[in-house]
Amino acid sequence: MSSANEAMAKRSLLAAIADEDSVTGLLLAGVGQVSNEVGKETNFLTVIPGKTTVEQVEEAFDTFTSGRDDIAILLINQHIADLIRFKVDSYTNAFPAILEIPSKDHPYDPEKDSILKKVRRLFGE
Amino acid sequence: MSGAGNREQVFPTRMTLGLMKGKLKGAQQGHSLLKRKSEALTKRFRDITQRIDDAKRKMGRVMQTAAFSLAEVQYATGDNIAYQVQESVQKARFQVKAKQENVSGVYLPTFESHINEEINDFKFTGLGRGGQQVQKAKLVYTRAVETLVELASLQTAFIILDEVIKVTNRRVNAIEHVIIPRTENTISYINSELDELDREEFYRLKKVQEKKQEAQAAAELEENLKKQELENDPVKREEQIQKEVQKLAAGSEDDDLLKENEDDVIF
Amino acid sequence: MEGLFFNVNYGYVEGVVRGYKSGLLSSNQYVNLTQCDNLEDLKLQLASTDYGNFLAQHSGPLSTSVIQDNLSKKLYQQFQYLKSNSSGRLTQFLDFISYGYMIDNVSLMITGTLHERDRSEILSKCHPLGWFDTLPTLSIATDIESLYSTVLIDTPLAPFFKNCLTVDDLDDLNIEIIRNRLYKNYLEAFVEFVEKEFGNPDDEIMTRLLSFEADKRVINIALNSLNNPDLSAEDKLSLFPSYGKLYPTYHNELSQVDDFEQLKQIVENVGEYKDIFNESSDSGSGAKNLEDWFYLLEMQYCKNAFTQQFTLSTVWAWLRSKEQEIRNVTWIAECIAQNQKNRIENYISVY
Repeated sequence: MSSANEAMAKRSLLAAIADEDSVTGLLLAGVGQVSNEVGKETNFLTVIPGKTTVEQVEEAFDTFTSGRDDIAILLINQHIADLIRFKVDSYTNAFPAILEIPSKDHPYDPEKDSILKKVRRLFGE
Repeated sequence: MSGAGNREQVFPTRMTLGLMKGKLKGAQQGHSLLKRKSEALTKRFRDITQRIDDAKRKMGRVMQTAAFSLAEVQYATGDNIAYQVQESVQKARFQVKAKQENVSGVYLPTFESHINEEINDFKFTGLGRGGQQVQKAKLVYTRAVETLVELASLQTAFIILDEVIKVTNRRVNAIEHVIIPRTENTISYINSELDELDREEFYRLKKVQEKKQEAQAAAELEENLKKQELENDPVKREEQIQKEVQKLAAGSEDDDLLKENEDDVIF
Repeated sequence: MEGLFFNVNYGYVEGVVRGYKSGLLSSNQYVNLTQCDNLEDLKLQLASTDYGNFLAQHSGPLSTSVIQDNLSKKLYQQFQYLKSNSSGRLTQFLDFISYGYMIDNVSLMITGTLHERDRSEILSKCHPLGWFDTLPTLSIATDIESLYSTVLIDTPLAPFFKNCLTVDDLDDLNIEIIRNRLYKNYLEAFVEFVEKEFGNPDDEIMTRLLSFEADKRVINIALNSLNNPDLSAEDKLSLFPSYGKLYPTYHNELSQVDDFEQLKQIVENVGEYKDIFNESSDSGSGAKNLEDWFYLLEMQYCKNAFTQQFTLSTVWAWLRSKEQEIRNVTWIAECIAQNQKNRIENYISVY
């Protein structure tokens, strides 16, 4: 358990894949970290509709979930999670935790949340 | 017997029987323990699920308020605030610390918000105008992210508990439906084998006795014949008597031994 | 006298501006807008105003940013039209107006270059009113020094740059400080221009508007840098435009205040700003905050500017009113989109 402890202690950052407004807000709260280390340049990805491709989102998702070892929580806009739903749904690790958050233009829909889906499946609803 | 073939490959001996009985007892004890653990975890799990559900809904509201405060910033500062903010970012002010909590032997991680007040990348953002709104939005978003972190803890706990409960339930079920029946099967198999052996032994001894009796009867018959012969011939009879006396003196022990054996067999 | 010849050169533009002005949304129209239930409704309501079918080309779901973009586009078109019909002093005046936006754009480019961002990405974020032909060339500069010389050579902002910033400053100083220093120089130059070139009644109105602009910045900087140890009193003083009603009497004091009450006392010495903090101090939701007060004051000044005839200041007044209008509509749209109807009355309408 101690190794798991150490791995957890290292994870202290939040990461974000979100639209511009959400990223701005999260950055205002102070989650942003920029460094020169290769592979750890930024811990947020701004998704601009029409510009950011699904591949880029996927790549960022992979980087944040498996590539980096300092991310504790990944915040992702629900409508962006929808783009890579299969990836989000098949992600089962506890670390980093993935949290789907609502965005300004897309109110939160509990029906789509992969965690809540699991909840419902478990209780046979 | 369900699944007569489903038993452990053992020699049906009394020792294995003892072992199996011990195993069965252990399995039953483990089963009840695990079952209790699973129940405790499930209770916790349901509790967390409930809280996740609430927290997710709360998050919807909190994030909306936060988004609105950002709208205020945009109203006050005009465009490009997003870009300014993105470019001002240096170091994370808002970090999380992972801690562990022990629930029925399962380590559940919880995240704790940790804000380093010394770091402030947005000291100058909105200096010319809108700085007040920027600060306000910062506060609102900080609170929002705190809620998110809380939710993330719950969610991680949820995932881990889910996993642990699955494993525990699998064990409970394995014990209940595989190990216990199999051990029981083995025990009954050993018992039946032992009974079978007993019966065979009994039969075998019976047969041995029968043969012995036959042999004795034959021997007696011969004896009688000889006696008659001796009676017919006095000289021979005399000799015979002499011999008999000697024989009896020597062979009485043999006879006793045989008798003891027979006793043993019968009882 | 000046009225006699004014129309020869500027009559047309003034006429157009006044036309634009009457196209500004009235309070009745605002009330109608606030009654909308969704953005589609809002679009419909706006269609009956001066904006017409400004969202006609847009397909797909509406969002507040789309609305804002399209409203702004309309403004840029109108401004461009004025600019192409201007001559003489008016052209200079319009140039001065756009310098303000150029400062924003250039500081944007500087940040972008420092962080080695994609240049097309930054260019798309630049304010159209502050666009100048050589703006894209700024992004070619790869290091600070060449950027600095490019700014000096290629941009109309050179006069604001050369006196206050050196090469090293670009690297060391926070971009917000650079921006505010530039803005200070810009305002001072603007005032100078107005005093030199404009006669009555132009200079009177413009002086009032500009001194308000200067004071607004001073108060904001003083307020926003409270409890900020990185900004010394001298630094602050160097960011205050040497103009306005607070200058020079209160600047020194303002640069040294370190709590809100002191600031309030100083600002209250000026009659016109007396109420600013009275209402804003209880900044509960719904209450007017500082920024709202500034906007309101500005709008009142702008409205007054229209009462004078034969003046170029109407252009400024119109531009500001239009910007405010866009902010208002965006705000209303935001409130509708996010279901925050209780705050929807927070817009500022004076016409």
